[in-house]
Amino acid sequence: MSFRQPSVLPGFGLTFGFTTFFLSFLVLLPLAALVLTAGSMHWSDFLHVVTSPRALGSYRLSFGASFLAAIINLVFGFVIAWTLVRYEFPGRKLIDALIDMPFALPTAVSGIALTTVFAQSGWIGRYLEPLGIKVAYTWVGVTLALTLISMPFAVRALQPALLEVQRELEEAAETLGAGRFYIFRRIILPTVLPALLTGFTLAFARAVGEYGSVIFIAGNLPLKTEITPLLIVIHLEEFDYRGAAALGVVMLVMSFLVLFAINLLQAWNRRRHLQEVR
Amino acid sequence: MSITLDQVTKHYGGMPVVNDVSLDIGDGEFFVLLGPSGSGKSTLLRAVAGLSGVDHGRISLHGRDVTHVAARKRGVGLVFQNYALFRHMTVAENIEFALRVRWVRTKARRQRLKELLRLVSLEGLERRLPAQLSGGQQQRVAVARALAHKPEVLLLDEPFGALDAKIREELRRTIREVQRELGITTVLVTHDQEEAFAMADRIGIMNLGRLLEVGAPHDLYSRPATRFVATFLGAANLILARRSADGIQVGGSTIAAVDRPAGAAGMQEHEVVAVVRPEEVELAPAREALRSHFVAHGVVSEMVFTGPLESLRVQLQNGRHAPQLMHSDGESTADQLLQVTRTQHEQRGFAVLPGQSVAVGVRRAHVLPTPLSSFTACASSTALAESLSREPLLTALAARMKTRIALRSEPRLGVSDAACSEEQEFVGTTVIACQADCAHRAEWLLRRGVQDLLVLPAGARAPQRVLIHWMGEAVRSATLAMSASVLRHLPAEAVYVSIVPGALAGARGAPGMRELLDARSEAQAAHGLEMRTEMRFGEVAQELAARLAEAPGQMLIVGISDLTRFAERFRPLLDGGQWPVLIVHRGPA
Repeated sequence: MSFRQPSVLPGFGLTFGFTTFFLSFLVLLPLAALVLTAGSMHWSDFLHVVTSPRALGSYRLSFGASFLAAIINLVFGFVIAWTLVRYEFPGRKLIDALIDMPFALPTAVSGIALTTVFAQSGWIGRYLEPLGIKVAYTWVGVTLALTLISMPFAVRALQPALLEVQRELEEAAETLGAGRFYIFRRIILPTVLPALLTGFTLAFARAVGEYGSVIFIAGNLPLKTEITPLLIVIHLEEFDYRGAAALGVVMLVMSFLVLFAINLLQAWNRRRHLQEVR
Repeated sequence: MSITLDQVTKHYGGMPVVNDVSLDIGDGEFFVLLGPSGSGKSTLLRAVAGLSGVDHGRISLHGRDVTHVAARKRGVGLVFQNYALFRHMTVAENIEFALRVRWVRTKARRQRLKELLRLVSLEGLERRLPAQLSGGQQQRVAVARALAHKPEVLLLDEPFGALDAKIREELRRTIREVQRELGITTVLVTHDQEEAFAMADRIGIMNLGRLLEVGAPHDLYSRPATRFVATFLGAANLILARRSADGIQVGGSTIAAVDRPAGAAGMQEHEVVAVVRPEEVELAPAREALRSHFVAHGVVSEMVFTGPLESLRVQLQNGRHAPQLMHSDGESTADQLLQVTRTQHEQRGFAVLPGQSVAVGVRRAHVLPTPLSSFTACASSTALAESLSREPLLTALAARMKTRIALRSEPRLGVSDAACSEEQEFVGTTVIACQADCAHRAEWLLRRGVQDLLVLPAGARAPQRVLIHWMGEAVRSATLAMSASVLRHLPAEAVYVSIVPGALAGARGAPGMRELLDARSEAQAAHGLEMRTEMRFGEVAQELAARLAEAPGQMLIVGISDLTRFAERFRPLLDGGQWPVLIVHRGPA
């Protein structure tokens, strides 16, 4: 590798230095500290903490609800992005701007707002109550909160990809005899698949790490509606730093595995095309 | 007929993008739709493909009315300018797309793929992705893909636009060969006239949403009927000349015309627009050395060498007989620059340099059959005439027609029994402002030899609808010719209004109807003008005025043959009207 590559910004050497420094200082160092703290525990203590029924229940809720939220966002994020990209209507710019609201809002505010609406006496909750549907203080509420806060990630990842799908491609397919569903399945979906996966990944990652909005609507019943980040905070409040670190390491590993798997999927998708060529 | 279009119209935001286009394209024909960008040619092609609907009219493919049939059921193949290949599919998958959609068996599909790859000479590339092909190869794939399902019609939308010159030529030849081999009816849309000449059996030229002329390339080039076609299809000098029974008078000499056989031998001398192609101009050191008709002396002002040809501009000297050149900006007085092209051979015979004086001759001239030659703004003073000549509708028309607006002052305009102050007779279309006693002034002018008179209200804009009516069969043909000419330069719809006298409403219903249909078919056949028809009952001038008052943005073209009680009869139509009226008068003054 040569550090002499001409470019607009000053020197590759300098920028590469910054890149590695910031990554190490801000990302890798704290993570290493986390692993080290957990590592100072005895092996059996570690296992005891991370496999306690309460911890297992929280993993299921955290990852399950995040997965579900990411899936929901994949479908509806696609619809929203499609509407914003393909149609001209009054207020389009406004809606486009509103998508980013969950980014800007403190997540606690989102949580409180959702709880107000979906609590048993809330605007919507009071009508759902007689139907036997409970949203607030159940896993449904958790999923709802996670869907809300991770929605912009899915939409923003899909928008540029959908802009890329030229209408001419659809028209070409149409003149060749393809129906709408066929065009969607064979032309549009394959073109935006990488963006769909990226959107899913981002939404999932964001949802797994979410804390602020969930704790208000979840009710936080151990084993039922307690997410892993909350469990970590509970350990911290009991001054059990090691226990908290142990749970943190588990989350870290699982998140890493999920992201890694999706990246593999992306790479496989890309390679599949290149292989067909040879 | 393979493709039949009947009065196809498409509007975008109130403006007609495709305006009343009727066209028949025969089996196996290679038809080229040629026009500048924004002329509506692509929209028309998309309408044939079924990708955009039409507001009015019918489209048939092989006798089947497909106006309301979805694109995927029309059985056409469409090739786009930007290829529109599916980038995530290989060449083979792209070409087989239409077959997969139709659940064709693998074996038959492979067979067809092989045929198509051979047809467009892409054997061996079937496993590549589009991104790994050159532009020319990608467009070949697009052509093969469009042909896979054996469509009855192949549509090409500027297919060579994104390719460089050499590849373009090669692909042109391939497409022409494929088309001949398959005998498939093909429509190609382009703005490149060279491409149109190279490929077409017939060319249709569009401008402002209208299909102006249709014909074989050679006919359109040598005998255009409209200014637009004359100047769009190759270069042309448009010259205001005078047509008499002997021929065309340009700058003092008379050239035998090559246009359609003259109608009447005892033709009245009148102003016409002559087309002189740059290659029909001859340059010589002196008038005596010319082998063609001398028209003027000039000075070479510009010279460009383009390989086989030399292209020049010659500044004509102003003189009493100097020909009146027409320019795109409507100014005929400023620069009298004549376009000339000469072959190497001619150049060797008489080499010229910029600044050199030459004698200019013309070998051939073609007269446009349009009755609209030039405009003369006429008012009681020069100042008024000049302000009239700056009216937006008039300047727009003159600019689009590449013609001039002359000024004429008649201080005694409208004074009964007063003679014209200028000796010169009226030429072209005379324009007066619409004001209080307008009908009276109009009569004054018509009685003094004006044949075509445009009455223009202040600030009139280009109309969206032109109403057409004539009184007396003697003036029908002239009115239709004038209407067709005007409408070529306006993106407006034409409506023929037939008026049956109120008292005869019941009894004359049927003859009125026949008159309507006759008028429509004559307009279409003789003048290429598509118009809709309307019927009204009552007194002519009143009914027309009522119709004009119904909506803004309308204009009237009215033909008259009889000037009896003119001012009285036309007062409701002319005096203080908010609409432009063009009066076509043929008959005794």
